[in-house]
Amino acid sequence: MSRREIVIDPITRLEGHGKIHIFLNEKGEVDRAYFQVPELRGFEKFAVGRPAEEMPQITSRICGVCPTAHHMAATKALDDLYQVDPPPAAKKIRELVYCTFMVEDHALHFYFLGGPDFVVGPTAPKAERNILGVLARVGLEIGREVIGVRKQLRDLITRVGGKVIHPVFGLPGGIAKPLTPEDREAFLAGADRAVQFALFSLKLFEDIVLKNPQYVEWIRSEAYTHRTYYMGLVDDRNRVNFYDGWLRVVDPNGREFLKFPVRDYLKHIAEHVEPWSYIKFCYLKDVGWKGFVDGPESGVYSVAPLARLNAADGMATPRAQEAYEQFYATLGGKPVHHTLANHWARLIELLYAAERMQELARDPEILDPRVRTLPTAVPREGIGVVEAPRGTLIHHYETDERGIITRANLIVATQNNAARIAMSVDKAARSVIRNGEVGEGILNLVEMAFRAYDPCHACATHALPGQMPLLIRIYNPRGELVREIRRD
Amino acid sequence: MKILILGLGNDLLGDDGIGLLTVRALREELGGSEGIELVESSLSGLALLDLLIGYDRAILIDAVQTGRAPPGTIWRWRAEELGSVRAPSPHYAGLPELLAIARALRLPFPEQIEIYAVEVADPRTIGGALTPAVRQALPELVRQIRERVRKSLSVDAIPEGQPGKSQAGRTIEDG
Repeated sequence: MSRREIVIDPITRLEGHGKIHIFLNEKGEVDRAYFQVPELRGFEKFAVGRPAEEMPQITSRICGVCPTAHHMAATKALDDLYQVDPPPAAKKIRELVYCTFMVEDHALHFYFLGGPDFVVGPTAPKAERNILGVLARVGLEIGREVIGVRKQLRDLITRVGGKVIHPVFGLPGGIAKPLTPEDREAFLAGADRAVQFALFSLKLFEDIVLKNPQYVEWIRSEAYTHRTYYMGLVDDRNRVNFYDGWLRVVDPNGREFLKFPVRDYLKHIAEHVEPWSYIKFCYLKDVGWKGFVDGPESGVYSVAPLARLNAADGMATPRAQEAYEQFYATLGGKPVHHTLANHWARLIELLYAAERMQELARDPEILDPRVRTLPTAVPREGIGVVEAPRGTLIHHYETDERGIITRANLIVATQNNAARIAMSVDKAARSVIRNGEVGEGILNLVEMAFRAYDPCHACATHALPGQMPLLIRIYNPRGELVREIRRD
Repeated sequence: MKILILGLGNDLLGDDGIGLLTVRALREELGGSEGIELVESSLSGLALLDLLIGYDRAILIDAVQTGRAPPGTIWRWRAEELGSVRAPSPHYAGLPELLAIARALRLPFPEQIEIYAVEVADPRTIGGALTPAVRQALPELVRQIRERVRKSLSVDAIPEGQPGKSQAGRTIEDG
């Protein structure tokens, strides 16, 4: 196999598209496939010179899909920057709002993104593999409930932030205002509805997916399986927590490998740059970068629902814990390496977030008016972490003594997954390309590979989830473009 | 008759802010008018469902990158035509589905939704300003929408317009 010089043109008018470049060898098989998500440019440059206190509002506007996640990570970075610990009520309200967001986002993605593959089926015609196909299978009542629950939860979040263009919620050392008894009633109502919604979604999954042997076989198939490390936030008892805790990493055999506070992330996470990409691939420093390969010798790791469940020892609420146990019992124990199991794991997390909403809303301390500790320390450096729906999200700011940013870095969820996503796409491409012939199903098989990760795609600020436009380019051994497939 | 003028985009992301800036300009002329509501939003696709409910007609304004026209070109589409429009923007790939969902669930959606989309050069640089061609398209875009709204309010029936595109006042009929 001869080596070809690989030149990737980073400048394309189709920058809003996910890009896949596939290079064939002389036998017409895949030599290498590369996947890039569109990336926003210029964040650091933009942040430098701005007051760090603006970051919760600014960063929440960068991403139209996960605004609450950025807002929260930025707020926690400010807590760290000013070395201030929020009062207990503030932390609880923050976590309550955050769990509300997680329910809403996970619900949206299951029905609009995972649903079409699972509920309608991967081999169904494309015209049916969308939310309408899902509604046709599950019924309009459920459809109305999905829309209704989402709206109710979004209204709750708007309620605490204020119905304005730039909502104010998180502040260094706490939050803007306490919860009123009316707010709490509203959250309780939303939480109860969310728990019911989570339970019937899991039941739906069980009835439509788990009782279908073909689907289960497909989940377990080697084509969508990778044996990597997994990372997620856990509480003091190693249970999944979205808002705060320790970063825990388990190895491909499920054993704890690392457990560290986010402040130490640079000791453990590094970014690898490939010559063909402007994307930086995260990997574990303690293992090292060995390429796009599986196994305990490779520093590739994964985040998001499946990873979080793998990295934890359990869930902190009762019904989610039951679902967690059933998950591992069904799929053959911990850790589960099947990428498509992310869709199931997402529903378990949805249930946990809903139950946690109930717990927090019922906690008497949630009405305590003391919701802010005023910062007094001189700022210098702050790092904050949350688990966004798509994985671990880190905000890191360095400032001068006035709190003006001198350096800023974000590790967004998908960066943690970037290497594994590339591997998944590569594996999918290999399975459909033979003798230089690109199979009909290539687009869908490849899409399914990365859709399970639900990558951050900045271009999706207005699009429905699952609508990432895709551009696939296939090159012969001489590096010449032989075929281009575009899905707008 | 309740008309919604909805600007979509993100004013932190250069050209992607064109929809929001257009609404702000229109607000100066049309704000406070009877039957017209002007809204800016940076939210993701499904939020459109919440935003559009309760209006008779809607005009959406946004950035698009079809790659088929120079930056500053103004595209005009009706929502139900998006499925057949060549190279629809990813921004609206979800809109026909939303319409279908609204119909299936019998949600009170606008009878007519029009989209004014500006071909942009750079919607991805954080903190970027509008690029020159897009900035130059803004007054014409404001003019077209203002006229459209006035026509809608003064006659009962909206004439069936062809999807079209225009550059600085010249309308090119294109399927």
